[in-house]
Parts: sequence; C-alpha cells; structure tokens
Amino acid sequence: MIHRFVGLIAVAFSGLVAVTASASAHPHVWVTMRDELVYAPDGSVTAVRHTWTFDDMFSAFATMGFPKTNGTFTRETLQPLAKVNVDSLKDFDYFTYAKIDGKRVKDAFAEPTADYWLDYDAKTTLLTLHFTLPLKKPVKANKTLEIEVYDPTFFIDFAMAKSNPVTLVGAPADCKVATEKPPDINFPTTLRLDQALVTSEANIGMGASFANKITVTCP
Amino acid sequence: MSTGDGVRHIRWFLFSGGIATLVLAAATVSAWAQFRGFGGMGPPPANGIFGWLLGQQAFFYQALAGMLRAAKTNGSAYWGLMGISLVYGVFHAAGPGHGKAVISSYLLANEETWRRGITLSFASAVLQSITAIAIVAIAALLINATAQMMGDTVRIIETVSYGLIIVIGARLAWVKGKSFHAALRKMHAGTEAANGDPPVSIANHPAARGVTGNLAEAHSCVTHGQDGHMHGEHAHADHAHAGCTHHAHQHDDDEEENVLPWGHAHGPEPEELAGPGGWRRGLSAIVAVGLRPCSGAIIILVFALSQGLFWAGVASTFVMGLGTAITVSTIASLAVGAKSFAKRISRRPTGYGVLVLRGFEVCAACLVMLVGVALLSGYMASEQMGFF
Repeated sequence: MIHRFVGLIAVAFSGLVAVTASASAHPHVWVTMRDELVYAPDGSVTAVRHTWTFDDMFSAFATMGFPKTNGTFTRETLQPLAKVNVDSLKDFDYFTYAKIDGKRVKDAFAEPTADYWLDYDAKTTLLTLHFTLPLKKPVKANKTLEIEVYDPTFFIDFAMAKSNPVTLVGAPADCKVATEKPPDINFPTTLRLDQALVTSEANIGMGASFANKITVTCP
Repeated sequence: MSTGDGVRHIRWFLFSGGIATLVLAAATVSAWAQFRGFGGMGPPPANGIFGWLLGQQAFFYQALAGMLRAAKTNGSAYWGLMGISLVYGVFHAAGPGHGKAVISSYLLANEETWRRGITLSFASAVLQSITAIAIVAIAALLINATAQMMGDTVRIIETVSYGLIIVIGARLAWVKGKSFHAALRKMHAGTEAANGDPPVSIANHPAARGVTGNLAEAHSCVTHGQDGHMHGEHAHADHAHAGCTHHAHQHDDDEEENVLPWGHAHGPEPEELAGPGGWRRGLSAIVAVGLRPCSGAIIILVFALSQGLFWAGVASTFVMGLGTAITVSTIASLAVGAKSFAKRISRRPTGYGVLVLRGFEVCAACLVMLVGVALLSGYMASEQMGFF
C-alpha cells in the first residue's frame, strides 16, 4: 500500500516538475505577415520580401522614446530602430527557414538588403517592418521551395495575413503557391483539457508546430 | 540492529533513491527541454498540455491588452483588468523566468519548510514586479529611454541574476557536499560501532541548516557544524552556538525527535520565519530570482503608459506577481511536501538513508548551479526582450 502511495507521489511530482519547468514562453509579440517571393528572369526564386506588422502593444513598446512628428513616427525617425531590428534578427535566423525539395537548407539566406524600413500607422498605432532576405543560392524553378516562418522559442507569434498573404513577383505563369497556417492557439478555450491530452499522445514525434509554411512549385 | 530495521532501511533506501532519481531526472529533462540550439529544436508543440498552457497564457495576455484598451474609455474595465491580471499571472508562472526550478531546487537542497517556500515565492514575485515597474518608470518617465536601452538594462540585470543563481547553487553544493561526506563517514562509523543509536546527520543540525541559508552567519555556523560532526552524535548539544542563537528552539526539538533527522517537517518554527536570521536566510534566493523582471510585465507597463494608464499598469503588474507567486509557491510546496513525505514514510533513516538524502540534496544544489550556468550561457531559453 504505502509503497504504491509513495511511488504515485514521486511520479506525480516528477510529472509536475516536467510539465511546469519545460513550458515555453508564450508569445508576447504578434506579427501579421505578408510575403513576396521575388523571381529572377530565368524563373528562379532569388529572395523573400517580408512585411511584418506588429501588434499594438509591441508597437507601443518598440517606439518608446522616439519623437513623434505631426502625431506620427516618420520613416527617418524609425530608421535606427529598423536597423536594430534587422541586425538582431540575424541571431534568430530571421525566423525564416527554407526547404528545397523537402530538405532543410542551413543558412539559406544572406543578410537582408539595405532597403529595409519601418513604417508606423498613427491611426491603427501599428508598426510594420519591411525587409528583403536574398537566398544565397537562387532556387531553380524545377525545385519545390518551402519557406517556414516561426520563432522556435515562441516569443513571437507569426500569423499570415487573412487575405493574400503571399505574392509571387515576376514568377513564371504556371507557378503555384500554397500556404499552411499553424493551428490558432489564440482561441484555446474551444479546446478542452482532456482533448488536449488526447491530441498530445497522438502527436508524439509528429512535430506539430506553429510554423507558417509557404510552398511554391513551378512544374 | 533487528531484521525489521534492516528491511526498513532497505525499503527507505529504495524509496528515497527512487524518488530522488525521478525528481532529478524530471527536473534535468525539463531543464534540457528549455535549452536552445541543441539539435535544431523545432517549433514548440501546438497540442497537448504544453500547447494548452501556452494557449491559456496567450489568451489571457491578449485579454489583458484588451482590458487595457477598454480601460481607457470605460472605468469599470479596471476590475476586469485586475481579475485577468491575476489569472494571467497564475498561468504565466508556468513559463520560464519565474523561478520555479530555482526556488524548488533551492528548497529541496536546503531542508526548508513549505511555509518558507511560499514566503520565498511571494517575496521574489513582489521583487520581480517592483523591478519591472522601476525599470519602466525610470526609462520612460524620467530619462525618455528607448526600448533598446531598456532591453540592454534588462540584460545586465539578467546576467547579475543568473550569476547569483550560480553562486547560490555552488554554495549549496559545497555545504551539502560536506554534509554528504559527513554522512558517509558517519555511516562507516555506524557500521563499526555495534548497535549504536541511529546516527543523526549533521546537516540536519539546525546550525548546519543555518549555514546553508544564511550568508551572514556562515562562518560561525560552519565551525559549529564541523565541530558537531567531529565530536560525534549529539555533541552539538554541548555547544555554545554563538551566531546561531536563533536556532535554539529547534535545537530542543531536535533533541526530542532525534529519530527524525529532518525534524521539522511538521512546520516552521516562528523564529525560523521572523527571527533575525529568518528573512536573511532566503534573501539571496529571493534576489536571484526576483531581480530579473518579467518581459511581459514590461511590455504591458509600456503599453499602459502609452494609453495614459500607467497606474493601472502598475496595479496590474502587482496583481500579476500575486498570480505567479500562487503557482510558484504551489510547486515549491509540492516539492517540499514530496520530500518530507518520503522522509516521514521511511521513518528512521539511518546509514544509507541519510546518505541518499544528502546525495539528493547535493544533486538539487548542483541543479540550481546548472540552471544558472545554462541561463547565463544562453543555452536555456528565458524570455528574451523580443529582438532588441
């Protein structure tokens, strides 16, 4: 009796420690993303152009201490901030990962081109970051390119814009783009705990994720 | 030594060894799960209990932001804001950076009471709230700093805090290592001395307990602890415990219940909490954990400020701290409870039992140190300040 009881306590406690200590940071920053895939005349993909709009809380946080001109932050005022953003994004691999024909390519992207900037919408109080990530090696048209955008630490929650999240720029006419959105965790109240536990077991090793996937194929 | 005793000893050894292994394995695995940069860690799971916890946190965090927006025009939203801040705090403490691992391991290593665990949890949560408020108040209101400057400040504080965690862990490991060594010697001595009293481990001697927790009294108490050990079982009774006087009461207690080396599982002595050394004993842990502000609180405070609702933000931060303290203290109490329960169940731990207990404490101390090193070296994910 007592053996089992002690064993139970030990197991319960270990589980508790495991559950609580390994929980990741929840998102503190929300990004609505629109992307453009830029094609070269020969039909290969050369770059990804990100347009990331931050939530109002983070926008207020990020613009703190910057002076407003006529009630808004000008592009010039925000340029140093844009530089900080782009520079620090390097440490996070720009939260952008590439797969070619299903294989992950390490360090697929070069540093962003110099034409990055931030703009601020005084009406919505939202901040938007624009930057272009060139692929180190352009991806030929006959290959399948997958772009994934996510924060492995999940401090930032990336979500695709509701309409037209991805545009192909200068792509051959028959190229097709597909997008895959991560499950929406912002409305978890619909998910009951018991269901959550069931899906958890079903998903072991399956790598369910919060990645936003963009897949282009040009037959 | 009767056969019954022998069986009990073996049973105790198995129990405590099993528990120690399980707890440490769980803690280590979960600590490693927080590590970054190993084997290309993928995105976090969207399902299961982790996904659920994340979902709850994200939900309440956004609800909090919504309440702040509403509070700008609607005064009654303040109550909602406070309610959501509390619930958010409770869930948010499940995330990294609120000292669950450090406080729990510290308590396990330190032979502490559950009540002290609650005190530590609440004190560090209050300190954490104060740091966040102070940083935002100084940065935004006084010197008009940017988020980047604020982020840099937080990073410096972080480094100090992680360093302190390492120091506390190292200190505990050193003290507990000595206790382990003492238990080892005691065991050998015990085997040689036929049918002796169950050895009372020196580490449970109140003086030694003072050593582990109280930096200020470290010296005098170390000496006593050592003396006690050198001169045998109950030598400490004859000692004049200058510098460890506030333990006098527990002392008597120990004498009465020397069959229970841990002695104090039934609850804290008043002077343990309020005595001159009581508060100081846990202070280093409180500072180490509470120094580093919660980045969520900072973002919320800045947002509140931008909405002209700084005081609502301040109140919300404190209520959030209360919520995190509830969760952290629950976990800490469970940790302490599990340990003292295991010890109580096993009745008379002697020889191996004490050795296992001491070994467990050494491991818990090492875990504190390891967590500190991991945090400092950036291998363990904490909440970064966005990408500033």
